[in-house]
Amino acid sequence: MELTIDQRWDLVDRITKETVEVGAYKHTLKDAIADITVRPKTGIPFAIAVIYGFWMFFSTFAGFFTDGFLVKVFGDHYIPWLGSVFPGKGTWLFNIFAGNPAVFQPGYAGDICFEAGGVLTTGLFMPIAVVLPAIIAFYLVMAFLEDIGYLPRLAVLIDTVLHKIGLHGYAIVPTILSLGCNVPGVAATRALETRKQRFMMMVLLGVFVPCGAQIGMMQELIPEKIGFVFIALIIGYFVVGYILNKIWPGQSPEMLIDVPPYRMPTRGNVWRKTWMRTTSFLRVAVPFMLLGCVIVQLLYLTGGMAHLGHALSPVISGGFGLPQETVAPLVAGFLRKDLAVGLLGGIQLTGWQMFSSVVLLSVYFPCLATFVLMIKEQNAKEFGATLGVLAVTVFAYGGILRLIGMGLGVA
Amino acid sequence: MKKKLSEMKYEETGVIKSIGSDLRAQVAGMGIREGKEVKMMSKQPLKGPVVIMVDRSNASIGRGLANKIMVEMKDG
Amino acid sequence: MDKILLMGQANVGKSALFNRLTGARVIESNYPGTTVDYEKGRMLVDGEYVELVDVPGTFSLEPKDGAEEVAVRMLEEEKRATVICVLDASKIERGLYLVLEILERGYPVVVALNMWDVARDSKVKIDAKRLEQILGVPVVPTVAVQGEGIKQLVSRISEAAPVKVAGVIKRTGGEKWNSLLTRDGT
Repeated sequence: MELTIDQRWDLVDRITKETVEVGAYKHTLKDAIADITVRPKTGIPFAIAVIYGFWMFFSTFAGFFTDGFLVKVFGDHYIPWLGSVFPGKGTWLFNIFAGNPAVFQPGYAGDICFEAGGVLTTGLFMPIAVVLPAIIAFYLVMAFLEDIGYLPRLAVLIDTVLHKIGLHGYAIVPTILSLGCNVPGVAATRALETRKQRFMMMVLLGVFVPCGAQIGMMQELIPEKIGFVFIALIIGYFVVGYILNKIWPGQSPEMLIDVPPYRMPTRGNVWRKTWMRTTSFLRVAVPFMLLGCVIVQLLYLTGGMAHLGHALSPVISGGFGLPQETVAPLVAGFLRKDLAVGLLGGIQLTGWQMFSSVVLLSVYFPCLATFVLMIKEQNAKEFGATLGVLAVTVFAYGGILRLIGMGLGVA
Repeated sequence: MKKKLSEMKYEETGVIKSIGSDLRAQVAGMGIREGKEVKMMSKQPLKGPVVIMVDRSNASIGRGLANKIMVEMKDG
Repeated sequence: MDKILLMGQANVGKSALFNRLTGARVIESNYPGTTVDYEKGRMLVDGEYVELVDVPGTFSLEPKDGAEEVAVRMLEEEKRATVICVLDASKIERGLYLVLEILERGYPVVVALNMWDVARDSKVKIDAKRLEQILGVPVVPTVAVQGEGIKQLVSRISEAAPVKVAGVIKRTGGEKWNSLLTRDGT
């Protein structure tokens, strides 16, 4: 037998009348903090402080392990050692596994970690030394914010803005998750209400949200420009979101969420989540990263890269004002964004070229794992539209960045 | 005096009188129903969502949905 | 026993309880915390391993978003499952609303009155024995983060059996129970 809503509530009232006694409630400090953090005047500055704190922890933690420790281990010891013991210098095998023989010459001045390019050198350096600390730092803070109960409040505060582009405040959750890895971010769009919201969210995540691995690489290579990269991407997120909301059919229902009280996170739960997410991430990322290294090295060895660079130079050089060599990172970007950014580290670029390359790499194609998931989650029409948005975005960004660069006299 | 939930001011308290029929089932499980006391906890600017308290629980509701809930205000 | 579904509204400490019941030995996970996540683990009930599924949080069986749709679908697909319904004891009213919905659909249910300590601190006193009599299913107070009440909860899973809602209404004792049954309630 099923009751109606009213009948069910009547029954709940009858049951609680018999079994529950509610005493006077005392307002606690926790309630006061809960109020402060959700009221716009105090909540918005608080949210900005939280995000800033998030970033500070992320960059300090990752920097401590990457620069303070792992870069030295790889650059001073492991990679030179591998180059000296790996057999067959000058063969393809050496190039693929150890990397470009030039970097192993005594007195080589460049950054051996990024420039070697072999599967066992750069291919291991990037995931272990740069990406792993960044991802762990990210997931630690994420789990903490989740368990303490802050995310719904952030969703409330940001709903005003996101609702203007047809999304929920709750869209902030897939967005933040995507800042760790786009794959779970795209998966989390299933929690949104309508097909339209899910589609829009997937496009915005796939195109405009860089993953933690990529952010880690950017922080390592261009820490002084990373803020501008974020600004460029945030503008795109809202502009494209606004346009899609106007032209894409479907409903954009309003937010309706529970705002739980704050709670002390338990250490076990935070660690467990961090651990599970980190291992899931590594399973998705590392195979693609290693495969990417093999493909890039093979393209160099066969001369395919030079051909590609030549064939694409009207767009890359003529359109975007970048040197032909950036074709290698662009190829790698199909597999992994962090690998692509890492490859930029091995190319001579001006500051502005570096900045535009990183932005273009971010928007031009989601990494393969995300792409596969999007194919699974979208229907043909949505997928076609996603590709359309991708193409338009890349050319718009390439052109606009070039114009700005020329205006500033740096491109 | 009756008014829409969305018209309640910050820290005002009232009793829920009616909920739009398309919304009732959705909010029922959150404990939001007719006859319950409701307090306005926060209103976001620019027609953003409101945060209300019912039965010691907070919920955030979009402004348009809050328009569909009528509240009887306490007199005086 | 076929399968056990762990259900409850959002933020009732469901995942903490899941960890306690399975000893955090998760065999399958779909990105925890993404709100559409579910996890599967195994727990020991009367000397036998049974699969335990952590269903996404849902406020009612009338889904209001994608995650709740997933939860309702999972319940409907597991016709023979036993349900552990987790409540935030300090917000017992809305928790009971979900319990009744699940009972109405004929599932055997065990109720975990979780966050018992929070309820006590906020002066919500619950007569769990009486509640158990009325509902006709096991009701166990728990504090999942501290591990309190977990053993009792596990030991009583086998007592779960489907109950008739008409019986629940009768046991609330009001002489007007007939009117409740016949009222249309719009």
